[in-house]
Amino acid sequence: MATFDEFGGLSSLGRRRLLGAAAAVGMAASMPGAARAATAPAGLDTSNWTPEYIASIAGTMEIDTAAECAKVVPLNTKGRVTYWYVGPNQASPQIDHRIDAEFWAAFAKTYPNITVEKQNLDYNQMLNKVRTAALGNAAPMVAKFPILWGVEFAAKGQLMPLKPEDVGFGSDEFWPGALKSVMWNGKSYGIPTNNETMGLIWNAALFQAAGLDPEKPPATWDDLVLYSKAIKDKTGKNGYGLVARTNAGNTPFRFMPQLWAYGGGALDEAEARPGYKSVYLNNAGSKAALQASFDMYVRDRSVPVSALTNTQNENQDPFISGQLGMMISHPSEYAFMLDRASKATGDDKKTAEMVVANMRYGLVPKGPARRAIVFGGSNAHVFDAKVVDGKLDMEAARALLAFSTGPEWSTKIAWTNSNPGNLRGFRTKWMKERLETIKFLNVTTSMLPSGIPFPVIPESGEIMNIIVPDMLQNALTKKMSVAAAADDAARKVKALLTSL
Amino acid sequence: MSVSTAAREPNVFARIVRHRADYLYIAPALGVMLLVIGYPIYDTIYLSFFNTPPSLAMADKIFVGTDNYVRILTSEAFLDVTINTLIWTAFSTFFAFALGLGAALALDRQFVGRGLLRGILLIPYVISAVAAAYIWRWLYHSDFGVIGALAVASGITDRPINFLDNVDTSLPSLIVVNVWKEFSFAMIMMLAGLQTVPEQLHRAAQVDGAGVFQRFWHITMPHLKGVTLVTVLLLLVANLNSFTIPWIMTAGGPAGSSDIWITAIYQLAFERIRFGVASAYSVILFVVMMSMGYFYVRALTGKDEATPG
Repeated sequence: MATFDEFGGLSSLGRRRLLGAAAAVGMAASMPGAARAATAPAGLDTSNWTPEYIASIAGTMEIDTAAECAKVVPLNTKGRVTYWYVGPNQASPQIDHRIDAEFWAAFAKTYPNITVEKQNLDYNQMLNKVRTAALGNAAPMVAKFPILWGVEFAAKGQLMPLKPEDVGFGSDEFWPGALKSVMWNGKSYGIPTNNETMGLIWNAALFQAAGLDPEKPPATWDDLVLYSKAIKDKTGKNGYGLVARTNAGNTPFRFMPQLWAYGGGALDEAEARPGYKSVYLNNAGSKAALQASFDMYVRDRSVPVSALTNTQNENQDPFISGQLGMMISHPSEYAFMLDRASKATGDDKKTAEMVVANMRYGLVPKGPARRAIVFGGSNAHVFDAKVVDGKLDMEAARALLAFSTGPEWSTKIAWTNSNPGNLRGFRTKWMKERLETIKFLNVTTSMLPSGIPFPVIPESGEIMNIIVPDMLQNALTKKMSVAAAADDAARKVKALLTSL
Repeated sequence: MSVSTAAREPNVFARIVRHRADYLYIAPALGVMLLVIGYPIYDTIYLSFFNTPPSLAMADKIFVGTDNYVRILTSEAFLDVTINTLIWTAFSTFFAFALGLGAALALDRQFVGRGLLRGILLIPYVISAVAAAYIWRWLYHSDFGVIGALAVASGITDRPINFLDNVDTSLPSLIVVNVWKEFSFAMIMMLAGLQTVPEQLHRAAQVDGAGVFQRFWHITMPHLKGVTLVTVLLLLVANLNSFTIPWIMTAGGPAGSSDIWITAIYQLAFERIRFGVASAYSVILFVVMMSMGYFYVRALTGKDEATPG
């Protein structure tokens, strides 16, 4: 994809205005200084966050949500709150509908005098609807957004500053990666509701056919390159489901973990305290990661030729038909493959069932620098009073936030496809039940400490969906050398950041 | 002389009054056009002089004068995209027209199954562009595509042909799909044109000893001039504006090898949230297309004046 880095956008004057607008938001003045409720500390050892550890802590903590909420907002509080979120739709499993209904019933029971006017929106329509509503001063009081949407509204000065302490929780009860995702210009503008990561999925039968240990995934990305080649050489099937299409979110979700693992990055988002000013795309780690992809695609030809036009969707058919050895995906992929196998017929059904039986989940490989995966999930935000439809009822909003981001409901609402944003949720009996009923959940959950959010800046979409895939395509098509493609991408990101 | 002319032709105001009912009839349509065409054109031109932030905070847009135009016209990327656009437009138009004309000439003759064949050849035109793009994407698929599999099975190649994931073949592959989709339109237009060629001229020429090629060149083609102009112009406009097939099949990739003006504009506006520069790009495209329309109308008008009645 030809890019236009020279079309940077705003001048430095524009950026100052943008930041000024964000800084000028009512900030703390309008936020009640809620003292942190006396909740038990998370006390989780995330450095040892293994499937076994997760299993060992699940079900060890009793939670009284009403009692916790009462310490933040009295249960007899009267009020009204408007709330927009992406809830269950017609395609969602029945359990999602049931839990959603139970959530609203439980909230009404806990806060009987607070009226909630909720809107369950379609994921693909929500962002534009909220943008339009906020521009027209008709935004909801509270909204639950996918992890990176909030920064746009914070940058526009449309969100209230909001942190876990404002609703009775400690910041240590949430993943550091999740807290990074709600930061803008040094301030927090949201509370994590749920978080998830992906894992490495492989076909054990193909591993065996290639002479690899069928129960062990590649430990490092260098190993993954070798495994991919071995599968291709021994079986003729593609080894790893590389995805490199431009303008497709699947590409950065699978390539950035590799980049981070080698010590690279788009900016410094993998660092403990990212400033989002330094460009890492052409450092030695990024170039090594790009070289590894080049080796698989060009040198070894061990990944799909169609990787440049593929999204993850195009990996699913080859995988279920036994034509692909490894891919990075969500825990829900297992249920998806089961569904596909059940719908297949004849010989295809036999093949699909065999693949499902041989499906394994493991940690995404490490690199020389770290093990990494993209940190996903959602955050809850409160819109600024000046863009809210009607009068902002902060107490009602806080009550809803305290109730929904606590250990009980952040676990239940994330039942089928995510994890509690509140770390105490992992200790609950509901988490134990999830681990017992959802296959491979413990594996992908154990990737959470390795989760890194994309840079929390408005330019993130352009960097991740266009510049990074362009870099991959320029190298994989040999339009540029690996080093030149990395340098070109870094130059584009610098131009983008400095011209704004 | 001037007095008598003035007497015969009332002034503009009087003519408007006389046709007031006509104006009233078209007023709603004009109003809608002003709203959905006029205003967007105005706003696009207006936005083209600004830079807009990726946060979509439009209140923070910065006036940059003609800077966006200068940047576009002097950028290397614009040159690449323009070359792709010219190749895409020229080859798509030429081959769609040539195939359409050939099919029309064949179908203009009487033979058994002509109606059925006409119907079959119309299928690409009536099929949804989105559906066609997805079907062709799978036909071309570099790993599991039918075309690649047939090539391997018949021994033409030892591995599936890489159509869409190769910088050298992606654009030609898209052009093939576009021609397949569009040639039926040219065929319909030219078939209609062929109905206007007087049969007696062909017979007379045949009696005079003219061969097939001479009759085609000296009788058929002059009569098809008007419809040819219309068809070629409509194909050019359609191809310059073509979005569905390139976007769905390659999204401009790989590595920009199939990026054309429209996909570049879309990406600038809706993927990179650069409404200012995307607007400037759109204005350039608008000017190019209006210029083509001007020359086309001139060509048509000249033809009308040359052949009165």
